[in-house]
Amino acid sequence: MSKIKLTINDKEVMVEEGQTILEVAKEVGVDIPVLCHHPALTNWGACRMCLVEVAGMRGLQTACTCPATEGMNIQTETEQAVNVRKFVLELLFSERNHYCMFCQMSGDCELQDAAYRYGLEHFTYPRPYEKFEIDASRKYFIQDPNRCILCSRCIRACAEIAANHTLNLKGRGAGTRVIADLDVPFGESTCIECGTCLQVCPTGALIDVRSAYGGREKDVTHTQTTCLQCSVGCQLDVVTRYERLLRVDGIFGAAPNDGLLCVKGRFEPLYDEERQRVQTPLVRKDGQLQECSWEEALPWVAEKLATGTAQGLAATATTNAAFQAFGKLFEKIGDPAGLLCGTLPELGYGKGATIPDVLAADYIVVAGAKPLTTHKVVGYFIKRAADNGATIALVGEPENELRSYAQLNVSYAEMDKVSVDIPDAAAVVVVYGAGLTAEGIAALKPLAEKAVFLGLEPGRNGRGAAAAGLAPLAPAPAETRLVLLGEHPVKAAWVEQLNGAFTVVQASYHSPLTEKADVVLPTPIWAERSGHVTNLEGQVLPLQAALELPSGVRDEAEVLVALAKLIG
Amino acid sequence: MKTNLTQIHEVINQHGTNREALVEILRDLSQRSGYLTKEAMEVVATQLQLPPSEVFSVASFYTKINVEQLGKHVIKFCEDAPCHIAGGREIWEALEHKLGIQFGETTTDGFWTLWPTSCLGLCAVGPVMLVDDEPYGNLTPEKVTDILNHYRAGDAA
Ligand code: SF4
Ligand code: SF4
Ligand code: SF4
Ligand code: FES
Repeated sequence: MSKIKLTINDKEVMVEEGQTILEVAKEVGVDIPVLCHHPALTNWGACRMCLVEVAGMRGLQTACTCPATEGMNIQTETEQAVNVRKFVLELLFSERNHYCMFCQMSGDCELQDAAYRYGLEHFTYPRPYEKFEIDASRKYFIQDPNRCILCSRCIRACAEIAANHTLNLKGRGAGTRVIADLDVPFGESTCIECGTCLQVCPTGALIDVRSAYGGREKDVTHTQTTCLQCSVGCQLDVVTRYERLLRVDGIFGAAPNDGLLCVKGRFEPLYDEERQRVQTPLVRKDGQLQECSWEEALPWVAEKLATGTAQGLAATATTNAAFQAFGKLFEKIGDPAGLLCGTLPELGYGKGATIPDVLAADYIVVAGAKPLTTHKVVGYFIKRAADNGATIALVGEPENELRSYAQLNVSYAEMDKVSVDIPDAAAVVVVYGAGLTAEGIAALKPLAEKAVFLGLEPGRNGRGAAAAGLAPLAPAPAETRLVLLGEHPVKAAWVEQLNGAFTVVQASYHSPLTEKADVVLPTPIWAERSGHVTNLEGQVLPLQAALELPSGVRDEAEVLVALAKLIG
Repeated sequence: MKTNLTQIHEVINQHGTNREALVEILRDLSQRSGYLTKEAMEVVATQLQLPPSEVFSVASFYTKINVEQLGKHVIKFCEDAPCHIAGGREIWEALEHKLGIQFGETTTDGFWTLWPTSCLGLCAVGPVMLVDDEPYGNLTPEKVTDILNHYRAGDAA
């Protein structure tokens, strides 16, 4: 890319060609106010907040859409530009209810910031605005159209980032509203509650139920960590205050998910508080689980593990270090250890893909996988690729949830139809999952050279477990059983299978499994974890604790190492 | 009158499933039955491979396309200056009072929809209103009562 020279607020600067005036200004530290613009979305040019003067050009230019060119002379805060911005703000403030003192966004609102910046200290125009109904039909967030400035960030976020196209505008003029589908309540719409719209809204029109009034930007702490709810490994910005989880945001620009989250990552774990936490070690005495100290519990567990037969079974919701320590402990005592959950079938051919490869693909083959259910962000990326013109082919998946996006839907036996359909130059990604059969593996083989393969590892940190040498293992009779559960939900089958042994469970929450256990050792939850996980691409991603570990709780890795030491 | 599925498909076939045909299709469907049913918009969305939200957004943008169910008869009363000066204010109030609804609304029995409209070009006989496509001029509150009764009676017969 070549450089261009231009002048902005009397300062001569050299910048990359191909940027907008807004981008250039940002690069050289000139702050132009925006409302409809958001860096993760297409430029819109609707709100007129970013108007600037360019010498020789007629009228004012919207900095967010106007390309910066060689020799331009730009002034961003001339009297004319400032007056127009003020006028726009005055109109916005008269169009809806912007009594900031009652709004949860007050203090963090981009509209309010702009108003302060340009000295709007009173309402200039009458405010005969219509009162709109609030929509609270979704569990996690509310829409209040009375605070909406119709910037359409939410609409673009839903279409461009989540590829869900739920939102659009109804009507025109002052009564225009953001609606879902055919103007149905959000809770009955096609909304998948990914929360992307909520995150990009500049005003208090979209309200997070949990964090509303919980703390302003200046009061809160941000911690970046990796989502532990599935193996995609999305990057999370965890927002906390006073050791309380307020909210989770996506991080635009951070791989693998580039800011997009799903309901399982953004909202659900914050409502886990409805489950009851294990707070101290518990041991069964006289038939009852009773609190005890770590110093009492660990030697007892060590002794049980060291004498007689033992078996270690792990769910996949923990760190790489914990899996390593789990594997080593059982190696030391010479007993088998493995995973409670299944894993991916071995292809035996093909090169691995990255998650962003999906977005760049021209042709996507889906086989034995339901990404919209199990690895949602990958599913949304497939929809986004389809929006951008990629062909989607389903193989051996006649009923797949992606079928309305697919141009081809064939059986394994008809795989040659797909091979013929793929253009020579196409970038091909095969997305496969635990449902892929031996027949499917054979059927996909012709693509071994042409495609890259993205395996949707079913275990949350399944690849971290595999790296520690843990493979799926059926519960077998043993005198002692150690179950490394973490915060993983308990499957009914496990409770049945894990009968008839002295059972030690490492768990975050009380469950039917801990109820039957002889010893329960408390473990951290996702937001308290440090360490690493390995995502489905094989990337080792860091976990950073956003909350302190509760006093009675210890990290599993530390506990497992301590147990190994006690065994000697 | 509700458009049935066959009619919806007929209209789509006539205009084709290209995205550019959307407005024409919606206008045709709206004209046939007075308003666009959710079902019709859903079929159009599927056939044109557009998100339902987009179809709805386009439909709701145009005043000539109705997305709300309308009454059996639609009154469009001129709200512009000439009719206003000729006594439009009393007629406006009489209409709201007699129908028990406000402008922009439909009676609960689904018989009347009351809308304001811009100049109908009949200023010479103002105040003026249209009932469906039929113009009525030189309106007085009494005359309005007669007209409303006339439509009710016609419906009962
Ligand atoms: S939560 Fe996601 S799917 Fe729902 S409206 Fe917002 S962006 Fe669209
Ligand atoms: S809800 Fe928020 S993001 Fe959407 S148009 Fe209104 S102000 Fe903009
Ligand atoms: S796709 Fe997986 S990793 Fe990403 S937010 Fe959802 S649950 Fe978390
Ligand atoms: S930010 Fe440029 S027009 Fe809205």
